[in-house]
Amino acid sequence: MRILIVGAGAVGFHLAEHLSEEGHDIVLVDKDAERVAHAQDQLDIMTIVGNGASLSVLEQAGIEETDLLAAVTSVDEVNLIACMSAMQHDIKVKVARISNPEYFTEPFRLRNAQRGVDVMINPELECAREAFQLLQSEAATELAFFAGGRVQLLGLRVPPEAPLVGRSLAEVAGMMPDRRFLTAAISRNDETIIPRGDDRFQADDQVYIIGESTQMPRVLELAGYPEFRLRRVMIAGGGRTAVYLAQILEDHGIDCTIIEADRARCLQLAEQLKKTLILHGNATDMELLEMEGVEGIDGFVVFTGSDDTNMLASLLGKSQGVRKVVALINTIEYIPLVMRVGIDAAVSPRLSAVNTILRYVRRGSVLAVAALRGIDAEVIEFSVQPGCRIAGRTIEQIGFPKNSLVGAVIRGTEVIVPAGKLALAHGDKVAVLALPDAVSDVERLFQ
Amino acid sequence: MLIFRNAPLHIVGLIVAAVGVAMGISGVVGLLYDGPDAVPLFISAAIAIALGLIANRLTARPGELTIRESYLTVTLAWLGAAVFGALPYWLADIAAPLDAFFESISGFTTTGASIFDNPESLSRGILFWRDLSQWLGGMGIIVLVVAVLPFLGVGGMQLFRAEVPGPTPDRLQPRISQTAKILWTVYVGLTAAQVVLFLLGGLSLFDAVTHAFGCMPTGGFSPRTASIGHFQSPYIQYVTILFMYLAGVNFALHYRVLKGRLGSPLRDEEWRFYTIVLGVALVIVSGANLVAGTYTDLEATFRASAFQVVSIGTTTGFATADYVTWPVVTQFILVSLMFVGGMAGSTGGGMKTLRLWAALKQGVVELRKHLHPRAVMLTRVGGRVVHEGVMLNILAFMLLFVASFILGVLLLAALGIDLVTAAGASAAAIGNIGPGLGGVGPTGHYAWLPGAAKLILAALMLLGRLEIYTVLVLLHPEFWRR
Repeated sequence: MRILIVGAGAVGFHLAEHLSEEGHDIVLVDKDAERVAHAQDQLDIMTIVGNGASLSVLEQAGIEETDLLAAVTSVDEVNLIACMSAMQHDIKVKVARISNPEYFTEPFRLRNAQRGVDVMINPELECAREAFQLLQSEAATELAFFAGGRVQLLGLRVPPEAPLVGRSLAEVAGMMPDRRFLTAAISRNDETIIPRGDDRFQADDQVYIIGESTQMPRVLELAGYPEFRLRRVMIAGGGRTAVYLAQILEDHGIDCTIIEADRARCLQLAEQLKKTLILHGNATDMELLEMEGVEGIDGFVVFTGSDDTNMLASLLGKSQGVRKVVALINTIEYIPLVMRVGIDAAVSPRLSAVNTILRYVRRGSVLAVAALRGIDAEVIEFSVQPGCRIAGRTIEQIGFPKNSLVGAVIRGTEVIVPAGKLALAHGDKVAVLALPDAVSDVERLFQ
Repeated sequence: MLIFRNAPLHIVGLIVAAVGVAMGISGVVGLLYDGPDAVPLFISAAIAIALGLIANRLTARPGELTIRESYLTVTLAWLGAAVFGALPYWLADIAAPLDAFFESISGFTTTGASIFDNPESLSRGILFWRDLSQWLGGMGIIVLVVAVLPFLGVGGMQLFRAEVPGPTPDRLQPRISQTAKILWTVYVGLTAAQVVLFLLGGLSLFDAVTHAFGCMPTGGFSPRTASIGHFQSPYIQYVTILFMYLAGVNFALHYRVLKGRLGSPLRDEEWRFYTIVLGVALVIVSGANLVAGTYTDLEATFRASAFQVVSIGTTTGFATADYVTWPVVTQFILVSLMFVGGMAGSTGGGMKTLRLWAALKQGVVELRKHLHPRAVMLTRVGGRVVHEGVMLNILAFMLLFVASFILGVLLLAALGIDLVTAAGASAAAIGNIGPGLGGVGPTGHYAWLPGAAKLILAALMLLGRLEIYTVLVLLHPEFWRR
């Protein structure tokens, strides 16, 4: 697929990198020559220096052959105009990154077709939603939902005292006859394995479990996590993502506090958020955190602009006994590391944006994609469409690639734990976990 | 060398002439009812129109008013209206000059404190003028001028702001003269509706119009000695309760409802506060009256309580009962209500519910700040943030309001007036209510007070009507510095 990306900032660069590695042809446009040069050096892509909102630049970038346009600069108006300019050409999908909530929530008034945008993504909002989901479960390091929320992928760290430590997957399965989940991947000592029945769980394993959402509380019990209810959340850093998260928390009636270092920004926050308590101070100010009762909170979210501060503040929160700490990490390479030092979960607006865009890039009948952060893998939800080669054949017969695993099959309202003898049928939805080298092979199966 | 151009005089002259026209209209009414008794009104009208026009013609039309000029203009205009409006009482030989001035400024400021113990003995023309002056003062003589004379333009907004009650007047239309027109239209419309309802209740045209003129501006002058109580009709009393209540509502809100946005009062936080304050006061007052057995039947208790609560709460000052004889707790509630007043942007006096509500909310915020010393918190009223500057303005206003009240009590007491009367008169004057406590209660009058006391009260009335700052700013030395 030929993909045109406008904007070589963090989101654009990461998107280009991810898609290029998956074998797509990428053209990257940005008006900043330095950024373009950097991308040119690092990635196997074509680059153009110019204004991505201008039709002539887009034509120069080969807009007429492009299948997907992703306008992801940090300026909403540029992204909108880029998509509008591209309207003259027949492009399948036009994605615009929109951060201003006014533009984002008003498509109901101005239909997308009129402004030429097919998909609007708001990285900060996506990231805030993700953080909210992660906050709701003490164990979750990663979460993704499929089939309208019926199937859940849950990443968690196995504590040393968990009941399942030392048991094999088969033994654990035996403990729960009506089990409708399976262990899709285990990350141990920097190595990702797709486990088999005789593999054993070890303490500090990073485990990915996929299955019916309603069964996840029992999984958490097995993994040694007591019941958890989110009542009070403290957010350090009052950026846009923090505002979205605070709004979500307010809507759910959860007590929320934001700590922000800049006084003028504090005033803005106090104006925007009606119920949230705004504190003026540093995320790493222990005295302030203690004064505001950090030890009594259920969730601590660190959303400042600096990765260093975020990591430090997260560790401070964890040392104060906060049960769930979520950090915003912009440098994607740090994310696996962050989870290893004891921070419960990491989120990144860039990754959230990339995840959303990936869904539209996939070939075949992709319904949803989740790129995992703790390990280099993706979970992709496919639908089995009429005329698909694999329909009617069993999973064994189909022969999925080595580094992939069918995690769940959703047939009607039923969630089935797949076994080798299960035959896939038209209309099934299938969630597959795949390591990078297996992604394109899996996709081909579902074409 | 002049600090001020003669721009203020130009506008003040115009307003004095307008007051003259209003007196002329009263003269015509008087002529229809009493014949020659209307002569003093016509003489007064002629003097006011002549002097007003001379002042106006001799001065140049202002291009744009400076801030200081607008404050000076508003205060002078009100004083001018009060002085010339006093002429008929004096010329008709029913009041000494000072008493006439007191009656006039009490009218224009919609206070309704009267020196006449038996208004029914006065001629119809004078009675009409008394209520017409209130009606003009209610929505504001400046607002009227702004509505009629669009040439004021930018300066008009400053004049407007200096006169309209409340911290920040709503703009209903892009142009200030259009906004002023809308406010006056709503005001005239509501007055007309009340007149019709009064007529349906069997009042004579004269009674209907004068009482509507006394009610809509939350004034309180009644041509009847026993005020609304003269009409022993529950219907008339309920109609009056309703329109006093409506007069205490922000006129911008009336406009929105009339435009079809029926839900807008419910969404208005200040309106809810205003209504709840009156409701709570009503429950306490009628409860206390019920326990004390002030009235024999339930409906009468409710009606009399509701009437006094709404009359005092909206700062109208009509009476159907002498609350001075009621249980002490009810008197205390009524005196407290004198300070609350109507909504911002209404014709009511007092401190205005918007200020009180904002200050209460700020109080809660300050409490919470003690729990979270590093918190950044804002006070919101109706979803909109009240910024620090506005909040300080509100708090300082309330302080100055109470300070003026206390100073008033002090000065009146120094003149040998008993404390209850002094407190009641001072509160009733600065709140633009009318009847106070003790010797100036609903059945009393102000004629017996010493001359100095009348001047003090007149000053308090003007302070209250023009919301303190507009008048006090003239007393600041910097105002007169070049």
